[in-house]
Amino acid sequence: MGRDHQVPALCALDGASLMGERGSNGGYRISGPVSAGLGGSRLMPTRDGGWFALTLIRDIDRELLPALFGDPDLDIRNADAIAAAVARHDCARLVETGRALGLPVASADEKPAAPPIEVLARGPHRERPTSHRPLVLDLSAIWAGPLAGHLFWQAGMEVVKVESLSRPDLIRRDDPTTFDLINQGKANVLVDLTDETEKAALIALIRRADVVIESSRPRALRHLGVDADALVRDVPGLVWLSITGHGATGDAANWVGIGNDCGVAGGLSRAMAALTGEMGYVGDAIADPLTGITAAREGLAALRSGVAQRIGLSMSAISAMALAEERQHDRAAIDAELRAWGTSAGAPFPLVQRRPLQAEVREIGADTARYLPELVRC
Amino acid sequence: MKPGTRLKSAACDTEVMVIRCADGQIECGGAPMGEAKPAEAAPLSADFSAGTLMGKRYVDADGKYELLCVKPGKGSLSVDGVALVVKDAKPLPASD
Repeated sequence: MGRDHQVPALCALDGASLMGERGSNGGYRISGPVSAGLGGSRLMPTRDGGWFALTLIRDIDRELLPALFGDPDLDIRNADAIAAAVARHDCARLVETGRALGLPVASADEKPAAPPIEVLARGPHRERPTSHRPLVLDLSAIWAGPLAGHLFWQAGMEVVKVESLSRPDLIRRDDPTTFDLINQGKANVLVDLTDETEKAALIALIRRADVVIESSRPRALRHLGVDADALVRDVPGLVWLSITGHGATGDAANWVGIGNDCGVAGGLSRAMAALTGEMGYVGDAIADPLTGITAAREGLAALRSGVAQRIGLSMSAISAMALAEERQHDRAAIDAELRAWGTSAGAPFPLVQRRPLQAEVREIGADTARYLPELVRC
Repeated sequence: MKPGTRLKSAACDTEVMVIRCADGQIECGGAPMGEAKPAEAAPLSADFSAGTLMGKRYVDADGKYELLCVKPGKGSLSVDGVALVVKDAKPLPASD
């Protein structure tokens, strides 16, 4: 990507580091059917011979398990009881019900519902002088979107991380090493999206931005009254990157997806199992860094074109695309990598060189007054 | 009624999935909800017409009932005439 866009700082980063630095820095181990790190995602066999990936990282999600399995007496804290319930059902029905319930679930044998990259709306062209330093608003959280923002920052852009008072980016608390790496150098703005004045100030800031990155479910944006398509049709040259688990339109727009289960939905686990006989997660939340890198590449290209556009990026479909591209590029090499991963359960993650911080990590809300001067909090 | 049961509104487009319930009457738009849609739509009660939002979880004060809206509509949810309220969503933590 760095070479395509002639950005030296991007040339200096390599994909393997970006994909592996969270696991390497965190001392993760390859854990087969349990996700690396906290182990919040599990792959479990179903009655019909399928494999069902279920991520349970919030208590509020566990409360939905009796409805997922139609069993009011299920012990929702017991992993063995949950695996036994999975084994009593067919995979497709669990995935359908799980998605209706808003749970992050996937089947090892599904085909992604959306294209990996799709232009959802277009707007007017804007000619930018070469001296123009683009303003990027990063409204996203966790890993994929913030990594895209980080790559824009590495490319020399002005990046502002925007966090919501009610839903701050919890990676700051839960994994500060990764948070600092991918959010260093970004200004930080805190807004209360339930407050009409603050929301209007944010929309005004969006209207003077060059790039917006968000990873909300489309209906959450609509509920907030933020109409991404209308803004793109109205603001010349605005590039809006919408990162979703499984797609930005239709039913799939309502499905929750996070890094590990989107990799499963993209077919990576099935590809590994076909080679090794061992079902398990491939990489660490692999759909996140794959999507962050893809979003930055697409965003840079869109910015250079000058045409306002909203680009949907589906994490599950990007995982499937990456696998297909690697197979086309060098089938033997990707098969060897998957085989090595599948037969290394228990081994530590490959070490990647720790990247030193190059810039300050701003406190939450440290730059609100600078970017939203109309909001003076008492 | 089993958790996981889908109920349809007789008065609007709302559909919910039952997360938790007791023996009371679950209603939408002021009319009882059922697994099948009635042949004739019930009138939408003005007192229960605030609408339902896709993906929101609705609860009663005692925590006996919890319904997840899987299809939005014009009616609002109640149990035995007492309105349910939206349960606040929680953000995803950083890691899985």
